Amino acid sequence: MDAKAVVAVPDRCSGCKQCELICSFVYEKGYSPRLSRIKVVHFEDRGLSVPVTCAYCDRPVCEEVCPVGAMTHNPDTGAALVKEELCLGCKECVNACPLGAVEMHPGKRVALRCDLCGGDPACVRHCSYKALKFEPSHLGVKSKRRARVEAWNLE
Amino acid sequence: MYQHIKDILHVDLTKQTWWREPVRKEELLHYLGGRGISARILWNHVRPGVDPLGPENLLIFAAGLLSGTAAPSSGRTTVTCLSPATGLYMKTNAGGYWGGELKYAGYGHLVVHGRSEKPVFLWIDDDRVEFRDATALWGLDVRAADGAIKHQLEDQDIQICAIGQAGENLVNFAAVMFSVYNAAGRCGAGAVMGSKNLKAVAVRGSGAIVPAKPDRFHQLVLESREKLLAESGIEGMYLYGTAGSLNWVNEMGVFAAYNFQRSRLDDVYSLTGQCLAEEGFLKRRVACFSCIIGCHRYATVEQGEYAGTYSGGPELETMGAFGTGCGILKTEAVMKANELCNIYGLDTISTGAVIQWAMECAEKGALGPEDLDGEPLQWGDAAAVNKMIKKIALREGFGAVLADGVKKAAQHVGADSWKWAVEAKGLEQSRVDTRSAKSYALAFAVNPRGADHLHTETFAEFGLSPESRDLIKQITGDEKYASPYLTEKRAEIVRWHEDCYAATDCLGFCAFSSTALYGITPQAMAALFSAFTGFDLTEAELMEAGKRVVTLERCFNVRLGATRKEDLLPWRLMNEETPDRPGEKAINTMEELDGMLDRYYELHGWNVESARPTRESLARLGMNDVADELADAGCLGD
Repeated sequence: MDAKAVVAVPDRCSGCKQCELICSFVYEKGYSPRLSRIKVVHFEDRGLSVPVTCAYCDRPVCEEVCPVGAMTHNPDTGAALVKEELCLGCKECVNACPLGAVEMHPGKRVALRCDLCGGDPACVRHCSYKALKFEPSHLGVKSKRRARVEAWNLE
Repeated sequence: MYQHIKDILHVDLTKQTWWREPVRKEELLHYLGGRGISARILWNHVRPGVDPLGPENLLIFAAGLLSGTAAPSSGRTTVTCLSPATGLYMKTNAGGYWGGELKYAGYGHLVVHGRSEKPVFLWIDDDRVEFRDATALWGLDVRAADGAIKHQLEDQDIQICAIGQAGENLVNFAAVMFSVYNAAGRCGAGAVMGSKNLKAVAVRGSGAIVPAKPDRFHQLVLESREKLLAESGIEGMYLYGTAGSLNWVNEMGVFAAYNFQRSRLDDVYSLTGQCLAEEGFLKRRVACFSCIIGCHRYATVEQGEYAGTYSGGPELETMGAFGTGCGILKTEAVMKANELCNIYGLDTISTGAVIQWAMECAEKGALGPEDLDGEPLQWGDAAAVNKMIKKIALREGFGAVLADGVKKAAQHVGADSWKWAVEAKGLEQSRVDTRSAKSYALAFAVNPRGADHLHTETFAEFGLSPESRDLIKQITGDEKYASPYLTEKRAEIVRWHEDCYAATDCLGFCAFSSTALYGITPQAMAALFSAFTGFDLTEAELMEAGKRVVTLERCFNVRLGATRKEDLLPWRLMNEETPDRPGEKAINTMEELDGMLDRYYELHGWNVESARPTRESLARLGMNDVADELADAGCLGD
């Protein structure tokens, strides 16, 4: 059974960035897209927006490259963890993450990575467009398959 | 001074210098932020005698006080200056993402002074402000300029507002475009930007906004989200956008067609938001920064002669400006006109208005083929319209005449053509036919920037939703006044809406959140203001501050000589009936308008003959300095 992760539904994302604002407030008591653990990627001229956050890779390269063991995760929930007291700010994880989901905290100079709010992600709860889901990835795959077959419009 | 209240950034393009100015507490409590503080800055700096297109005019960009926070739908930006279209006060407002970014860079306002010798763009990167050469960008359309600047600065996530060729060529109704497709369109702010040789303002901010009382503020944010999401109209706005109501306003006989000769057509489905969605043009539903309504669209054309067209929108007004207005009932053709306006940086409302006026002139013989560069301009000719849009933006041929706006164009053409120029104070009117919507009639007449709906949106008078009927009852004491043909109680309805609308703009909320949907109430705004600033403000004080903003805007025009005779509606809407109100003909009479105006000035406490504020009315609002200055200029209403 896959662990639950924050999964984006690109078709439904409006680009409003409420997820970024809610995330930064929950963790930093301030509103700032730069401090958010989830990031909306915008292509303004094409009206296209897609939220990107930690994918909870089965082989987390960010953890593998960390020289001091600051990047880790909870083996039970899968939630990522940054041991800020250990983090050197060397940015190996930032460079290694192929999704661009890890960034540096601009103030603290430590890695910034989604920890799933301990199991009830605020971004998912507050997305009024239902563009974010919190579910095991195999469920997402199932619904994607169904949607594709449905689109064939077979009688 | 306060971490949450961002500074005013002044930039002088002549001297290439910049400086910061903190916002004082009294100013904030008096004028709330955003539009209100901009009005105050304009009042202080732009005095009678300033040329709208000269270096002494200011161009003021303002994020809302709450822009950049999670307050729902609070990310809008206001642009304020002396208008080249009207010669009077103007503010125009846009969505997109730029305002929030300005706040994260550390500024609530950007005040542009002077005029650069060569084309420049501003690059505001937190504490760094740079004047960058824009010679290579001059002549580019908005979309191309946006792309080129992002490429040059090596960051696709920065926020840009820019002008297109229309602004460079000082077209009277050039827009400032934000985040590519969001227009601060009305009254020619783009021309003012062009006159300053300012192509664009690029912003990147890495800061955070921390309210004075963070937990209280966030709690209020979550509550106002719930209230707004529960509005009965919100789903329709999301699904079909502004043009989702087009069929309905057409059926009511209030949607202008053929240059206001008609106000209802038989079948307008092709222009509706429903058509965009159902016929496959709509690709995505788009929201502005922090907005939970999501009424903006992204639509494309994939097949046929307009294949390759892509843009944000089109909105209701644009569907009217080129669709019913020019007699073009083809979705793709209007989408093309919309795209052209967006990339040239033109206000769609005015662009459609001048073209449909020219069509009527051609039909009635006031303009011959030789006047129109040998090219016919007939109702419904989409190819000719799209050609003319380009000629306006580039000031080519007859496009140069239309580029001066319909009022000056009518002076140029002569004969009876001024009667068909549907403008007031020099601004081409937006699409609501005020002959069958009397709050709109009054609101348009007293609007300091000319006849349109975006100073005071009085949508509630149609009584379309339970929320709007409740509001009308709250204002007038009886739900029966939710009826747009009545002239009774219209002044009361306009007064409530103009204060609420002003507060809405000051805080950065979208008018749709508070005066079309009603989820963001004045009470909620006051509570959010208090928690955000740490300065307690009651609902009554918030509405009073809105009134103060409206009054100062009036005073700005009064200082320029404006009187009651400017508070008029376009000639056609006062003198020609529309056949299209269901069951009867409709018109605005002077008697009707005078009655509503008298009551409106009375409610403000202004002099009813001159429509000028009295010392007493200003003193009540704590605006004695404004009263002194009007007295010195001999234009106080006493």
